[in-house]
Amino acid sequence: MNVERRKVAIFGAAAAVRFLLFTCFPGLPDLLTGRVEISTPVTSFKRLQEGLFLYNHNVSPYDGGVYHQAPILLPLFALLPSSQSWPSMTYLLYILVDILSANALMKIAKSGEGGSSSLYCSPRMGKKWSGYAIAAAFLFNPFTIATCIGRPTSVFTTCAILHAISKAVVGSSFTSMFALSIASYLSMYPVLLFPPLILLCYDRRGPKQQNDSLLSFVSGNVMGVGGFLYSLFHMSYIITGSWEFIESTYGVQLLLPDLTPNVGLWWYFFIEMFDSFRNFFLGVFWLHLSSYVAGLTIRLRRQPLFVIITLLGIFAIFKPYPSISDTSLYLAMLPLYRHVFPLMRYTFLALSTILYATLLGPAFYYLWIYAGSGNANFFYAITLVWSLGLSILVADALFAVLRDEWEVERPEMRGKEIRQI
Amino acid sequence: MAPSLPQFSAARMRSYVFRLPLFTRSIIGVILVLWVASYQGVFDLVQWGALIPKEIGISTMYRTNTFPLIHRGVFHTFFNLIALAPLLERFEAEYGTLTSLALFVGPLSTIPALLYTFIERGILGMNTAVLGSSIWVFTLLATEACKTYKTNPSFQLGTVQVPTWITPLVMVVFVSVLVPNTSFLGHLCGLAFGYGWGLGYLKFLAPPEWALRWIEGKLNLLGRLPHYVSVDQKTYGRFGVLPTTNASNISLPTGDRMQVEMGLVGTSGSLLRRDPRLLKVPPYLSFLCIVIGVAWLLVLPLDNYSRKTYISENALLPGQVHTYFAGSDQNVFRGYKREVDGMGEWGNVEVNDKLEEFFKASGLKVARQRYEYTSAGETYSGENIYAILHAPRGDAEEAIVLVGAWTNVEGELNKSGVALVLTLARYFKRWSLWSKDIIFLITADSRAGPQAWVDAYHDTHQKGVQSLPVKSGALQGAVVIDYPFDHRFESLHVVYDGINGQLPNLDLLNTVVSIASGQMGIGASLQKMWQHTDTYKDRLTTMLRGMMNQGLGHASGPHSSFIPYHVDAITLQPYGEGWQDEMAMGRVIESTFRSLNNLLEHLHQSFFFYLLMQSSRFVSIGTYLPSAMLVAVNFTIMAIFLWVKSGSTPSPDSKVGSTSEKSGPLAIIKKEDAVAIVPEELLEARERDFFLPLGVVVGSHFLGVLPLYVFNHTPHALLPIIFYLFSALNLLLPLLISSTLTHSFAPTLQQYQLLKSFSLLFLGMFLSALATLNFSLAFLIGLLAAPLTYIQPFKSTVITALYVVLMALLAPTSVLFAGTWYWNLGVGAVLREAAFGWDVWGMNTQVVVWCVWWPGWVVGVIQLFGRPRVREKGKA
Repeated sequence: MNVERRKVAIFGAAAAVRFLLFTCFPGLPDLLTGRVEISTPVTSFKRLQEGLFLYNHNVSPYDGGVYHQAPILLPLFALLPSSQSWPSMTYLLYILVDILSANALMKIAKSGEGGSSSLYCSPRMGKKWSGYAIAAAFLFNPFTIATCIGRPTSVFTTCAILHAISKAVVGSSFTSMFALSIASYLSMYPVLLFPPLILLCYDRRGPKQQNDSLLSFVSGNVMGVGGFLYSLFHMSYIITGSWEFIESTYGVQLLLPDLTPNVGLWWYFFIEMFDSFRNFFLGVFWLHLSSYVAGLTIRLRRQPLFVIITLLGIFAIFKPYPSISDTSLYLAMLPLYRHVFPLMRYTFLALSTILYATLLGPAFYYLWIYAGSGNANFFYAITLVWSLGLSILVADALFAVLRDEWEVERPEMRGKEIRQI
Repeated sequence: MAPSLPQFSAARMRSYVFRLPLFTRSIIGVILVLWVASYQGVFDLVQWGALIPKEIGISTMYRTNTFPLIHRGVFHTFFNLIALAPLLERFEAEYGTLTSLALFVGPLSTIPALLYTFIERGILGMNTAVLGSSIWVFTLLATEACKTYKTNPSFQLGTVQVPTWITPLVMVVFVSVLVPNTSFLGHLCGLAFGYGWGLGYLKFLAPPEWALRWIEGKLNLLGRLPHYVSVDQKTYGRFGVLPTTNASNISLPTGDRMQVEMGLVGTSGSLLRRDPRLLKVPPYLSFLCIVIGVAWLLVLPLDNYSRKTYISENALLPGQVHTYFAGSDQNVFRGYKREVDGMGEWGNVEVNDKLEEFFKASGLKVARQRYEYTSAGETYSGENIYAILHAPRGDAEEAIVLVGAWTNVEGELNKSGVALVLTLARYFKRWSLWSKDIIFLITADSRAGPQAWVDAYHDTHQKGVQSLPVKSGALQGAVVIDYPFDHRFESLHVVYDGINGQLPNLDLLNTVVSIASGQMGIGASLQKMWQHTDTYKDRLTTMLRGMMNQGLGHASGPHSSFIPYHVDAITLQPYGEGWQDEMAMGRVIESTFRSLNNLLEHLHQSFFFYLLMQSSRFVSIGTYLPSAMLVAVNFTIMAIFLWVKSGSTPSPDSKVGSTSEKSGPLAIIKKEDAVAIVPEELLEARERDFFLPLGVVVGSHFLGVLPLYVFNHTPHALLPIIFYLFSALNLLLPLLISSTLTHSFAPTLQQYQLLKSFSLLFLGMFLSALATLNFSLAFLIGLLAAPLTYIQPFKSTVITALYVVLMALLAPTSVLFAGTWYWNLGVGAVLREAAFGWDVWGMNTQVVVWCVWWPGWVVGVIQLFGRPRVREKGKA
């Protein structure tokens, strides 16, 4: 049982670190909850409290325009003891969610999907990290820890996405689609992961479905997702008593009425924009975000898991309300492709850019908001740098994977410098 | 033929730069040297060398030759060089070095210059000076355009045929419209000459070929000079084809072209990475960064780099109002003064009882606040009292604060200061023109009291501090009077540093200085420079003292506590023996308050980041920030360099011995018919073993929390002992860690490189982030940590020993000790102050010292004692 012991040790240590941070620094959770890098209007824990208060007092939680999160979170948190009087219950819930995510990640790693999918087998697949290392990298990533302490509801989405993938790699498409529906229900954007995820399910389908054609497989699962989503929506309708929630949750993500600063690129752009162009650019931005799905899915048909990873990286940059929790999810998934790391060219550059931005971001935010000696451009400049670092990382990983595929086709080019013309 | 856009490639760029011919190189060199030389203050190079039409005479003809070589400023030089280099290179390649020399030193600059002088002075009657090599750029452009015109007479724009020779003209127009301060006429003169040359009318100016050949042959120039272009070569150019048809005009089908490029620059990136010359540059570059960073700071006090202060916010109108604080108010002041003198020995509460009476008698609303802080085992407690004058013309949304601490920073009784606050309270109450509330605050001391009051005003107070019973609106500014003596004074000393190096808006300081010196005729000084003679040395001293105060980040007066809340505040201290009396001081305050009363919005117009040289001279952030950034960048450069170095394979000579035993995977490379078997390792970047180094670096940063905690939570009596213990331990700790590392992990050279790389990366990152918040601290720590850049496991014991001594001297503990010795303070007192700052003021300097600088130092010394493992044979 040595193996299990290692798992317990990692999970225990991760839980202990989080619990220590929660209890030894009682001011920390509230401090991090207020940070714009962690809490966005659609995931903030503070806003959740507001919604919860309204819900508990039989007022529609969406009155007042503060709460923009899915209705199903309300009964869940209403069941927990109040986070004011019994904060440790909330802490335990968040720690548990993180550990569940790590567990799912470990399962994905164990399946070996990263090195060899059913259609493609990397020549470098021998080089990989064990599931424990990957789970530890996720659990002890400062971004993940900060997210957990800041308690945004995006951790539930993260957990659902990871479970959807972990179920897909073992071929249980039904459960996978269920998890994806929950993720989409909570945050909407994961629905864009459907195409690569369904391909992953298809590639890994069990012996019973071996004879299904892709078309019938997909249409069956589309029905499944539709059904799950409908039932979740209907449940929400019952909980809140009206369909108002659709507008206040998904409408906010789509139309971006709340321009609170965050690490993304949308807020500043839409602050500056004249109102007459707003709808047009909303369309453009969303189109841009979703346009990656088709292209990547087709180009990397043989490695659907990597499509999902790259999409998650792209979402972390170009989402309307991104936070470091999205980045931590991307950084958690990336080590699954450990074998292509030697092919990446700008890891040091990208990671130091991200580190620089991590330090300068809060400094400039402080200068802008508290010291009053800076202005919004300071912080926006840093979010640009942050996005730049992330995009270098995403593009570089993509390059490495493509190069890996290319070397299978042309073994004589192995190790040679190439360039695009 | 489809135009193929040239692709930027670093390797090609590099080879282009290395192939630049001799004359082009020397011109670039001369221009750069003259540009650098133009920065010295002794001799005005620009004035000496510019082409100024009225100055041209027989003895000043040299100007017609020197003007293209001299530039004004970085951008001018840079852009001209970028434009000039490729054109000049083509010209030289075509005509040869000697011809170019003869032409460019002679007619090519003289003739356009004389033409320009003639038109400007003779015809237009003006006297505009011109400078810079852009005249050459246009001459060369015109000759190129003539050449193009011969092969390719026109291009199509819509339906119009545009002749190609016109393009330089268009460019002249665009440049003169888009770029400010360019000489349209000068460029035209250059063009005229260029067209003349290009059309062949001016060929007679070139020296005869036989002469050149003779010179070249006699001196054997081709053999002696590198990059020399011979006269003979010019017939075919240096490329075997005429230089006018360059590669982009050769129409190759795309496929062929691709193959050509694959063959030529197939391995651009890895070539660059492995170039031994490139790998040698970064250490020098980073050293250069430090030197420039320091030099940058040292030139700041010069007139060219600092500016006179000015009032940015128009609403302030300093010194525009008549002040009425005089006459009978002096009697009031004397009365209050007597009372305050009498209360010198009283307890805090009794004093406040009396003060409350006074304020109430003036018709103000009074409130009190008790506070109690504990720090380093000591308790600091007291009671603040304050009175609010509600604005007759305002709505209590904004307020200004007048502070008089009962005792000042040195602990003296602030007798005249408190009396003046009481008098002014009574006096201000009589006026109906206030549009902002005025709060009169008398704090029990100058350190904890103001902090307690401001914290409570913004509801962020700690336990032990009472909330304020009465409040007013948002604080717009605060002025503190520190006037602890009876006699008349000479000048005002303005203290402006806030906690953690934050500064008040420069407008506030400017207002006070201009009121004091302009309206009242009282001199103002800064940073305890009692005698400022406006010399370089005095300016530099003022600036360095300011940087020291900013870097330490402590409170320099009661005003410091206000600044973190974005309330601009200063302390005014009269000093010296002179003829200014307390009423003059009161008038300065009155006038300042009238100015602040004018404010429509919070002070925001002027600078928040500045260094002051004297009361009327400053440098703004744009000018001084590069110096700290350069020091921080030096670490980053080395970090990147070490990362690259750690990834590249070790030099071949160290491998030769082990080749036979190598069992690593082999890669087969086929190229046409040849097949080669190469160890895979050579082809790929080496895998880096970065877990151990990362662990050590991150671990040492976390270890910094330990001294941080210990020094902030030890009772003050124990502080010196703990400090000496820690200093001793501090010198042993790296040795201990280092030997543990060597014994249990036996790190390789690569791991040591990565260790240093990560450590420097973190250091550079923290310092550049810090430079935006507290410039001085970042600069000072960057300088003290600079030797870490060059530390490594040295082979020679002498160097190691020297470095050990240096590092021992530059340890944070040693620096702290040296500082206390230099300023004649006790270690205990300094540490107690630091703990007080941490507990009460929210000072962050300690965090930077213990969690940024100290870990960097520890990792540095670990490397010094490190012994890299020799690579085992057979291990791939």
